[in-house]
Formats: sequence, C-alpha cells, structure tokens
Amino acid sequence: MTAPTDTPMQPGPLPAPGAAPGHFVSPDPFDPEAEAPGLAGSLGTAVGGQASQLRIMWIKFRRHRLALISAVFLIVMYATLLITEFLAPYRLEDHDYTAIYAPPQQVHLFHDGSFVGPFVYGQSVTLDMVRLKRVYADDRSDVQKIRFFCHGAPYRMLGLIPGDLHLLCPAEGGRFNLLGTDRLGRDILSRILYAARVSLTIGLLGTFVAFSLGILIGGIAGYRGGWFDVAMQRTIEVIQSIPSIPLWMALAAIIPLTWSPIFVYLGITVILGMLDWTGQARAVRSKLFSLREEDYVLAAELMGARPRRIIWRHLLPGFMSHLIASASLSVPGMILGETALTFLGLGLRPPITSWGILLTEARGINIIALYPWLLWPMVPVVLVILAFNFFGDGLRDAADPLR
Amino acid sequence: MKNRGFSGRPIGRREALGMIAAGTTLAPSLAEAFVSAPYFATQETMGALPPVAARLPDVPRVIDLAAMGRTPGQCGGTLRMVIGGQRDVRYMPILGYARLLAYTPELELVPDLLRDWEVEGDRIFTLHLRPGHRWSDGHPFTAEDFRYCWEDVIGHPDLGGMPPEMLLDGRGPSFEILDDVTVRYSWHAPLPEFPARLAEPVPLRLFLPAHYLKAFHARYTPMPRLEQLAKHWRVDDWSSLHQKVSRSSRPENPDLPTLEPWRPRTSPPSEQFVFERNAYFHRVDSAGVQLPYIDRFELDVSSYDILPAKVATGESDLQATGLEFSDYTLVKEAEARFPIKVALWTRSQGSRVALMPNLNCLDPVWNALWRDVTVRRALSLAIDRDEINQVLFFGLATPSQNTILPESVLYQPHYASAWANHDPDQANALLDRTLLGLRHRDGFRRMPDGKMAGLMIETAGESSLQTDVLEMIRDHFRAVGLAVWTRNSQRELFRSRALAGMTVMSVWNGLDNALPTPEMPPYELAPTAEDQLNWPRWGAHYVSQGRQGIAPDMPEALMLLRLLDRWRGSTSQDERTEIWHQMLALHADQVFSIGTINAVPQPVVRSARLRNLPETGLIGYVPTSILGVYMPDTFWLDDTDGKEG
Repeated sequence: MTAPTDTPMQPGPLPAPGAAPGHFVSPDPFDPEAEAPGLAGSLGTAVGGQASQLRIMWIKFRRHRLALISAVFLIVMYATLLITEFLAPYRLEDHDYTAIYAPPQQVHLFHDGSFVGPFVYGQSVTLDMVRLKRVYADDRSDVQKIRFFCHGAPYRMLGLIPGDLHLLCPAEGGRFNLLGTDRLGRDILSRILYAARVSLTIGLLGTFVAFSLGILIGGIAGYRGGWFDVAMQRTIEVIQSIPSIPLWMALAAIIPLTWSPIFVYLGITVILGMLDWTGQARAVRSKLFSLREEDYVLAAELMGARPRRIIWRHLLPGFMSHLIASASLSVPGMILGETALTFLGLGLRPPITSWGILLTEARGINIIALYPWLLWPMVPVVLVILAFNFFGDGLRDAADPLR
Repeated sequence: MKNRGFSGRPIGRREALGMIAAGTTLAPSLAEAFVSAPYFATQETMGALPPVAARLPDVPRVIDLAAMGRTPGQCGGTLRMVIGGQRDVRYMPILGYARLLAYTPELELVPDLLRDWEVEGDRIFTLHLRPGHRWSDGHPFTAEDFRYCWEDVIGHPDLGGMPPEMLLDGRGPSFEILDDVTVRYSWHAPLPEFPARLAEPVPLRLFLPAHYLKAFHARYTPMPRLEQLAKHWRVDDWSSLHQKVSRSSRPENPDLPTLEPWRPRTSPPSEQFVFERNAYFHRVDSAGVQLPYIDRFELDVSSYDILPAKVATGESDLQATGLEFSDYTLVKEAEARFPIKVALWTRSQGSRVALMPNLNCLDPVWNALWRDVTVRRALSLAIDRDEINQVLFFGLATPSQNTILPESVLYQPHYASAWANHDPDQANALLDRTLLGLRHRDGFRRMPDGKMAGLMIETAGESSLQTDVLEMIRDHFRAVGLAVWTRNSQRELFRSRALAGMTVMSVWNGLDNALPTPEMPPYELAPTAEDQLNWPRWGAHYVSQGRQGIAPDMPEALMLLRLLDRWRGSTSQDERTEIWHQMLALHADQVFSIGTINAVPQPVVRSARLRNLPETGLIGYVPTSILGVYMPDTFWLDDTDGKEG
C-alpha cells in the first residue's frame, strides 16, 4: 500500500486521519458544452450537440487507430474484388507449361546503371535431369519492361463486361510472375487475387445468412419468450450437439454434382451460414432477456412506446456491440470453414479458386522445401483475419453506448 | 569372416541334392558347412537354439548371388523403414516374399518354399515340401499344415469356406496327402491359374501352422477355453479369433509362426514395429550362410503426409512405398546431407493415370455415348500425352494406352499406340459423327438433350498427380468441345458411387499387372471385379455370381469374359498366349479405358551402405511384390564405411 499522500492526482493533500475533510470547490468556471472527461477530441462536442448514434460511433471508432487501418485495408481488399480481372496480370485459367515452379521474379529499376523503369529479367529454364528440377536463371541481357495499363488477354469483368485492359502486363512475349508460379505454371499473384473474390465474399455472405437467422430467431425468442423460446432453445441445443464437420459433410453431400460451380459456391455459403446462426441466436436472446428488464425499457413502456420502437431504439443499440464483434469474428471462421470443406473434397471445386484451395495445394514437405513461394496465399489469409479481428474490436468499442 | 565356424557337418548328400533341386551349381570351394548369423550366437551357445544345420531344411534353397550379379554379404544390421500407418505392416510379408512358388526377377516361376512341384494336364498339382523345413518356432512344416488348412479351415463351415480362386465351375479340388512332405490338389478340369495364385503378393492360402492354431480351433480346443481366449483377444467368437490370430498377410500376431525371412516381434498398437530374422528360414547363399543377411527391420509408423520428409532426413534405409515421383527432387537433394541413395525405378502399371468411362453409368445419355466406341476413341485421341509426360515427368515416362509394358513377353507396339496419338482434328471429326455432333458457337458441344456437353470426372482425391493430369486434360477436351469438371470424394464414397453407377467418368490407375506372362490369368482385362471403374456393375455381377450388379450386355465385354473362360480352361502355352493377345488387341481397339502415360519413374531410396538392391528395375504390387522378387533377404549392410556401392 502506498501512502495516500503520495497520490499526485488529488487536488490537495488529504486531511490527516480522523480530521474532518475540507470542502473543495474547483474555482474553474463550469461549461456544460466542454469535453466530457475521458473523451478526447470532438466526441464531447458531438455528445453535447446531440449527434446521432452513428456519428458518435464513427467518432469513437476513429480513435481506435488499428481498427481504422484495418477498416481501410478491408475496404481496399473488397474493392479489388470488383476489378480483379483488371488487377491480375493473368487470367485464372492461364497456364504456361514452360514456366513450371518458376520462382518469384524481382522487379528492377536500373539496368547497367541506367534507369529503365520497372522491369524484370527474362528467365531461362534448364531441366536439371539429375535432381529432376527446373532451374531458372535470370538472363541479364533480356530486359522485359513491365507494361502498365496495357491491353492483354481478353476477359469479361465479373463475367459481364468484356475488356482486355490490365494494370500490369508482362513485356510482349515475356513473362511476369511477381510471386512465382505453381506446378502447372499458373501465376500465383493472379490466383491469389481471383481466389480473394471467393474467400472474401463467402465469409461475408455466410455471416449475413447466419446473422439474419440469428437475429430473427433469437430476437423473437428473446422478446416473446414462451413456447417459441423453449422450442428454439432445444433446437439450438440439438444443432450444436452435432459435430460440425460431419454435419457440413452431410449437407455438402446434398449439393448435386451437376450444379455449376457458382451454385455450389452459393450452396456452401448457405451451409456455412445455416450452421453458424445458433450461437448468434442465443446471444441475441440472452441479451434481450437482460436488457428488457432495464429501467429505461420500463420507462419507455410506461411512456407508451410500442414493441417495435422499444426493440429498435432502446434494445438493439444495447447489444449491437456484441453482435458486431461476433460478426467480425465469424467472418474468418467462415473462411476457414470453407477451407475445411474444400479440403474434404466437399466444398468448392475447380475452376473456382479460393484461398483454401490454394493453401490445400501448398501442403506437403516438397513445397516448403523447394517451392516456398506457393505459401504466399497465407499472407492475405492472415492479414484479412487479423484485420477483421481488429475491425470488430474497434466497432464493438464504438458501438457500446456504455463506454 | 569371423562368424564362420559354427555348425560343422561336412557337405553331404542333402546339400548336394539341395543344389540340384534349386537348379544351381555351387562352386567347389564353397559350402563346406552352413553358417549361422552372429545374431543367434548367444542363443546357440546357451542351447536355446539348435545349430544352423539342424534349423535349415535338409534341402535349403541355395541362392546363387554371383549368377544374379550380386555380391555375397555379411549378416547383421537393422533396416529402418517408414510406413504410412499401422496397417502398412502388411508390406513386410510382401517384401519377404517366401512363397510356395515365387517369381524370379525375370518372372519365371520357381519353387521357393517347395522343393519341387509337378503338374499333370494343368489339373493335378503335386507339391513336394522340403523335408526338415521348420516354422519360425522350430516346429516342422509338413503336410499336416496343408491338411489343417484344407479340412479344418477351408472345410469348416464357420471359417470362410472355399476361396473363389480355387473354384472351377463351382467345384473345388480334391486334396490328398501322399506322404509327410507331399500333397496333391486335383481338379476335374484344367485350372492353369493355380501356380500363379501361389506366387502373388498375398498368395492363395494353402497351409497354416497347425500346431499353433489348433489351440484356437473348436475341433481341437474345448469351447470354454476358446471363449476365454476370444475375450483375451477382444473378439466376439472363436471364428473371428481364429481369423485374427492366423492372419499372416498383416503380421500383427508375434506368436504366429511364419516361414518369411523376418518374423514380427511387435503387436499393435505401436509406433514402431520390429521384425527379427527367422532362425529357420530356408534359403542360404552359395557360401552356405543362412539368409536373410539383415537381422532386423524397424518399421516407423508415420503418415503419408510426412513420410517424404522423414525419408529426406535419412530416417529410412529402404523405402519403395509412400514416395511419389514428385518427391524425387527433395530426396535427391537430401543425398548430400544424409547417407542415403535414391534411384529411379519403373512402375509396372498399365497406366499411371487412366480415365475410366463408366460403361454402367445410370445417366442414359452418357450410357449410350460410352457404348459408342467412336466416343471413347475420340476422347483418347484428344489427349496430348506428350505434354503430360513433359510437364509432369520430365519426359521420363512413356505415352501409352492403358496396356502392358514393353518388358512383358506379350507386348506388341500397337497395344500401346492404338488411338494414343494426339490428333484433335480426327477426334473432332469422330465426335461430329456421334450423338455429340452438334457444336454450339461457344465452342462446346451439345448433348442430345440440348445441355452443354460436359464430363464430370471423379477422383478419390488422393494424389495431386491425378488432379494435375485432369487439369491438363481439361484443356485437351475443351479443344474438342467438351467441358470437364472434377470432383474429389473420399475413396469409399468414390467406390460406392461408381458401383452404384453414379459416376460418368473416373480416374484411377491403369492395369495393376502390366508385366504379364501367358501363365498369369487375364482377369484384369475382363469385367471380373467391382473395383474396375469402367464396368463396376458387370464386375459385381461376376464376383457375386449373378446375385449383384447387372449382367454384361455389350458384345465386346461378353467376348472378354468368354476369352477369360477359355484361358481358365486352357491347357497349352500357345493357347494362353493367343488368348492374351486377343484380349489385349480387343482392349487396344475398343479403348475400354483411356490410358495416359505408363512406365513412370518411381523413386526407391536406400541407405548408402545397403548392397544388392538393384540400381533399377520394375516395381509394382503384382507381379513383383514391390521389391519381393528382388529378394530383400539378400540385401546387406556394408560396414566398411564404403561411401559408394
């Protein structure tokens, strides 16, 4: 225990033990518009100025630097999904059997001491028939300038808009594999970009399905209670008691073989969502149970508010923070769930490519020892999962009215 | 060598007989006496083991190493091997390859456990055992062991019954004991496959160690005792008990006497399985040293995922299983860091990756399409086998139809080349004449019902090689207007889907035995098994004798079955050769399965000190029993720190 007198925060020294405490009044003028203690910046003004709930959330969210950076990162990632065809130097189905397991090419700026702009050296491949390995060597005389905003392989943007403009292209007749190629000579960078489209959206869509179900069922159960609540609780217990992987497998096996890959993708999304709503529904129900006993709810009821207004204005903001946190946490769970299903051969299948598929292909000691660049898809997976966690953390703090 | 000088009987009539019987001649200076391994020295001096001369049969099988181009070795040492799971202890009896009759590396059938055998009209088979031959526990191996297997196991209603391989027209053979070391099996008609069945990796079981198993048999042991034993072995009844303790194909019972070169010393569950040399093994080298040279095998249980990593860190002294061609680079680079050597052998499969059109598929449209040989030929022509070879095998494999290898005496070049050239134009022209003739402007053909023509090709998803080949075939088939989708499912599911007719096309290996001699039965070429993915339901029909599956109704398939029946009743080499050729030609012409490449290189890793393992050779399950026909009992470890061998 430190002596009370050591505490520097006190306005004055404490009175001696037993003595009557003095009466302290701050001589500073009281300004109700001033910042509330503990809240920095414009939040105090916003509160004082009766800002909307959303605006308060945004102001609080901005203070969480890591969350803000994560949010920007995620927005950028999701934005790239719209223009993957433009960003990727190669198309998904492109392969080059003359460049199998080619290592990442380094981008250079200077050739022979003079500035050329970004370029890669051409690579020559020799078959090492002793080790049975393709050996790539930079050909220092073959300068392949990277082209920007160039016309390359034709594509249909999002399967609709035809185009052939690419952000980056290899030199005419050249090759440009920033992250190397895989065992069939496919460009890793392009594959990661295309795979992001599936992996990122499957997480969002799955979470959306889970949340719609969770809020709806949990909300009704929590607010109404009664037989519906009891029935739902038992259903949830049954669903949760079944191990998830076999249940996924059973559901995934229902998906007809003849479905086109895009329907399989949607089917998997729904399956992932259908099994994830139970936890959400429980959380919503229990939160509702506790919040509806609060005094302010009683006050609202006494003032004649209807259930809809009570739920939306008074209850929902109270547990929104919790919902958002678990939503952001379940997105990476969905991404990993898709990976697990794909791994079991029941999830996505080519030509659809997801990060899960890319990582499944990068298993094995051979890859780690000889072709480590195939592990690049780990980087976006780790970054996105981390970003979602930080983002969810920041959102939870921001959405919690009690903080 | 310091270990010479045990035993000590001069060479006698028995040895001389042995040399004659084994078809070898000994150099005059050799075989003054038999030599035991130092491993048993203590046991021998303490009297726990009789001297080597008493342990060997009167007529041991003499292996002339010099004639095989090998060097006589020294006894001793332990070989470590990595296996992908506990079940893989089954590789040991396959590697050991002690059989009544065994193949030589040249695929000649010679007596191994048998001293000799006689055949009358391919119908009556007389087997002569080696007098004095003993089980690994020292008990004599005699006709009684055959009688026990015949009367008390095959003939007992509770224990399985007659193996289908022994049935001819639904009838089994008659069994006679001529004397203590001679037995005879006679059928009412020729059964030429019988000798080949005895030399298989998992051979037809004709004998069991009676003296040991009687303690587990209801005819010799009272029921209360059996119930007690069943409880101890955690099985339900005495028949499962008998089956469990007598299983020699998976040596999990260390007490079960064996005739193999190494006997198990570990019972599961275990992380490591130890096998120790059989003191009563019946082979000697020409210097009279009792084989095997290697004292112990240690099988390290791992998983197939990390098996290549273990091999590449020098944790295996002999590894032919569990490695893929794509692991070669990793292991080759490990040669510099660990005392191992890796060599490329040739896999003896008809095709490393073969496409199997399911002629029994339920989809009526595809069923009709597959019945049309033009479609099968066109798909075969559409595949660019050279590209697959270059991309995945550095050009080291051979583009070929799913057929036998050039090393087989039955090989003819057109079996491999029929419809196997890459000719998309001809493929397109052929397809235009079929039900798939209509081609949409998107480049894909249309099914008769107007849907886009696409093939769902299913795999068991066990090797990335299959997926890679499919990835390449996707492009090849697109060039002829067919879309390809792939689906991986777990092996059991995959098999049951095929058997139910739910697959349209699947991917599997080609022929298991691509090195046939006319004496080997051509079952694989006819619809005879459920796991033949191009006609699984016809196969089921054959196996179940009509109770399951559906009867073949395609003339070519019926023809194959008729030819197989003719082979089964054949009596002459010429007839068998002719039947094999007819069946192979029918396969080449009809393209029942679409092969891609065969004679694929297979990495075989050995310790740098291991001697007598050939530098290269053909390797497969049948007929070479993995390394079995190359006689792992003659492999030895060189202690002289010689780096090269």
